[in-house]
Amino acid sequence: MANVYSTICPGCNFGCGLYVRENGKLEVDFRKSSPANAGKLCRFGMNLPRLYAPVKSMVDGKETTLQEAAKEAAKRLSGSKGSVAFLSFGNITCEEHLAFQKLAESSLYSGVDFEALPKDTYQTLSVGIPYDEIEAAKHIVLFIDPYEQYPLIVRRLLSAKKKGAKITSVWWKDMPLADENIRPADVSKLQLTKDSLVITDFHPLSDVEQIKNVLLLAKNAGARITFLKPFANSTGVYILSKDAKQKSLATLVEDINKGAIKTLFCLESDPVDLIPAETLGKLTNLIVQTGSASAITAKAHVVIAHEPLYKKRGTLINSEGRAQALGGAGTSGLEALGVIAGTKFEFDSLHESVRKALGIAAVDEFTIPKYDRPPYGAIQAAPKPIDTKTALVSIYNPFLWFGLADDNDFVELNLNTARALKLIKGATLKIKSNGSAIEKRFKVAPVQENVLLAGRKFGIEKGMLTPVEISR
Amino acid sequence: MQKGEMYVGWSTKEDVRKRGGSGGLVTSMLAAALEKKMVDAVVVLKKINEFEAVPVITSDVNEVLNSAGSLHSVPSNFAKLIANKNLKVALPAKGCDVRGIIEQSKRNAINLDNTFVVGLNCGGSMHPVVTREMLEVMYKIKPEDVHGEEIEKGKLIFETKDGKEHAITIDELEEKGYGRRESCRYCTIKIPNNADIACGNWGVTGDLVGKATFVEINSEKGARLLQNAIDAGYVQVQKPDEKGVAIRAKIKGTMEGLGKKWKDKVFVPMDNGRLEYFRKELEHCIDCGACKAVCPTCSCGDISKCTEFHYRGDAYKMSMYHLVRFLHLADSCIGCGQCSDVCPVDIPLTRLYRRFANTVQEQLKYEPGMDQRKPPYFEAKLEV
Ligand SMILES: Cc1cc2nc3c(=O)[nH]c(=O)nc-3n(C[C@H](O)[C@H](O)[C@H](O)COP(=O)(O)OP(=O)(O)OC[C@H]3O[C@@H](n4cnc5c(N)ncnc54)[C@H](O)[C@@H]3O)c2cc1C
Ligand code: SF4
Ligand code: SF4
Ligand code: SF4
Ligand code: SF4
Repeated sequence: MANVYSTICPGCNFGCGLYVRENGKLEVDFRKSSPANAGKLCRFGMNLPRLYAPVKSMVDGKETTLQEAAKEAAKRLSGSKGSVAFLSFGNITCEEHLAFQKLAESSLYSGVDFEALPKDTYQTLSVGIPYDEIEAAKHIVLFIDPYEQYPLIVRRLLSAKKKGAKITSVWWKDMPLADENIRPADVSKLQLTKDSLVITDFHPLSDVEQIKNVLLLAKNAGARITFLKPFANSTGVYILSKDAKQKSLATLVEDINKGAIKTLFCLESDPVDLIPAETLGKLTNLIVQTGSASAITAKAHVVIAHEPLYKKRGTLINSEGRAQALGGAGTSGLEALGVIAGTKFEFDSLHESVRKALGIAAVDEFTIPKYDRPPYGAIQAAPKPIDTKTALVSIYNPFLWFGLADDNDFVELNLNTARALKLIKGATLKIKSNGSAIEKRFKVAPVQENVLLAGRKFGIEKGMLTPVEISR
Repeated sequence: MQKGEMYVGWSTKEDVRKRGGSGGLVTSMLAAALEKKMVDAVVVLKKINEFEAVPVITSDVNEVLNSAGSLHSVPSNFAKLIANKNLKVALPAKGCDVRGIIEQSKRNAINLDNTFVVGLNCGGSMHPVVTREMLEVMYKIKPEDVHGEEIEKGKLIFETKDGKEHAITIDELEEKGYGRRESCRYCTIKIPNNADIACGNWGVTGDLVGKATFVEINSEKGARLLQNAIDAGYVQVQKPDEKGVAIRAKIKGTMEGLGKKWKDKVFVPMDNGRLEYFRKELEHCIDCGACKAVCPTCSCGDISKCTEFHYRGDAYKMSMYHLVRFLHLADSCIGCGQCSDVCPVDIPLTRLYRRFANTVQEQLKYEPGMDQRKPPYFEAKLEV
């Protein structure tokens, strides 16, 4: 009676398995045999039905079919040849990505800034370390907030700790699971050895100088390093596009601003919170292909509505390099890409290319394919010191990446900061930045003094770190 | 046929009997109920492999017939699946499923008049990820090579595709941290007499061992269910021998004794540091809400006491969410282990809830999920 799909949570690239049941409304159910997460889900995974808001194909606000919308998209794309950008963060299957890559050719924007990083680090950036190796590490160094950003890593860290691992956290806040807490500005105090395993992340808003610096620290110590990522198939798309030119989000903004890009095609990617509204407003054509409604579908001139991810057929690769099959049968995403590209993309042959690229005969979620782990050469890093006196730090988590509301309309701050400002429990804090001012509730936490941490955007941010003034 | 009667029976369909956990009787009884329109739907586990199956609500008799067999590494709970759906349904149910269903019915989320509960005796279930690791570490066999599995004389036996059997005692496995989930070790319900009918392999003797199911009728609905399956030609039954009845009672007693021992071992009384113990255990909670969503006795929707008193911006040492839940579940936790199973940061939640529930339920002499009794008010205790 009720359809049940075995699927993967797209909230981040951790690769958590679950069931989605269509039972009048959508329900999540636990897939306890799933190797990445043993069926466990974070706050976002538990809220997954909210992400899958139904979407309809549209052309200029008028409802139409997928075929018609895709044809219209093809027309508009060919009409603006030379000034088109194809954006995909990696929320699609490997098979779809191969098709998309053919369509995008040299105008592929995956959002991350590979171009600013040395080529010999690409493999390290693309494929991370298996979670059971993390559990077996002796010293783990975190450049992330595991609880907020990649929650399913927490149990792996706790398991490592049980086995005797020491955990060092480099963050603006003390982590309950850390044995040692270092503030980002004091990163020079960090002691790495060849027994250390560094966990950090890589995404469109990453500061490449910081990334280079962490790579360099690991290299100098002979430590291992693994990058977690925020999109369902980040690892898959980076592996498959390793020889393609991929452009960053910053380049996209620049290209639109200077008029070089007039048409933007977004594949299962919503950049509304990441690209300034005035920049988006400069586009002549905004074409969106997606399986769920969000802020970008409301703005788009053409919406091509393929099936939601849980209904799709295809392969996703998680941050440890594990290839997992989605349990659906849908291939309308490929169909639409085919119409746009003026060809027909066959799932089977694309799937074979995926297997070939991974060197595997079949997708088996329990066996991680073997990956090269080439060493990388010396790196020049010039990280800017994190020196803002008082800063609002946006902690990117799955809700934030997807622009979904969460119950976190407050900032975290240090007790001394609260005392110095004479803040009263239950009252609000005034936060000013460049002329804008907001008032927010606050939560006292072991945060660095004069730093505010937030898991959502308040509209005053200038990137991940925003200098602010605070008062009661 | 009536309440209290016991039978030994089996499916008349040879392949169902063969695939069945014991005699394929449960499967056939569910299929017959659907076929003869006693119910509109049946819940079964759709098997994916030895370690994975997904609960489905189906009206397809073939899907029901295909579900035969016991999956010890699928620790699901069906109560929430059928809650608030207003279904006329029949379903297999381990003790904890039955208890969940009864608790949901007290909260008006399940109508027992329309729900036919086929109880399964239950010695325990295992977490699939733990089972896979156990196979590699303890049995030295690849999970993919496993063909079948059974429990016999205190041993957990895996059959591999090459036809070989691999046996290790459950005691040894559990000493090493494998085997049954912790909640199953101290679970008190081995034969689900709270279901409409209780089915199992204990008590099957002689030539019928492995080929028949022992059933005990617990209600008028249970009698109807079995009679319908017999009338439809789906199952055959005969009277059990006295020896079988005695063996079954004896194993039940032994298992319950073992459960009590485990309970004493896990719940060592704490004199000091209780608050710190709970605070420490809950320290890594990421506020995902899975423990509430999965709990088969909880029937609150999005708006509930534990969430309404809780604000994520509060900086309490222990969140109101947990404090309210400890209180709220003290009289209604059935110890099913689901919350521990799904907690993303591996908090041993069932152990924490049972710390409250054991004491409260013992003092109130109230066992949730066993019958229609409602919990006595806590206040009554204050006068004692
Ligand atoms: C986890 C578990 C432990 C058990 N332990 C004992 C025991 O110690 N002693 C004993 O006498 N009997 C035990 N049983 C019951 C026994 O294995 C048989 O299920 C019972 O004898 C009925 O046999 P059958 O051939 O008639 O059932 P079948 O015809 O095989 O039908 C079994 C039904 O149970 C469902 N099912 C299978 N696995 C599960 C599960 N994990 N949770 C819920 N439903 C499930 C199937 O979907 C199917 O509908 C256990 C069963 C389970 C599932
Ligand atoms: S950790 Fe990532 S993949 Fe897992 S449930 Fe959370 S958002 Fe989804
Ligand atoms: S909690 Fe009890 S009834 Fe439920 S699976 Fe474990 S032993 Fe069986
Ligand atoms: S609190 Fe946990 S063990 Fe108790 S009934 Fe709920 S899910 Fe089961
Ligand atoms: S399941 Fe675990 S992490 Fe989630 S709310 Fe419950 S205790 Fe917290």
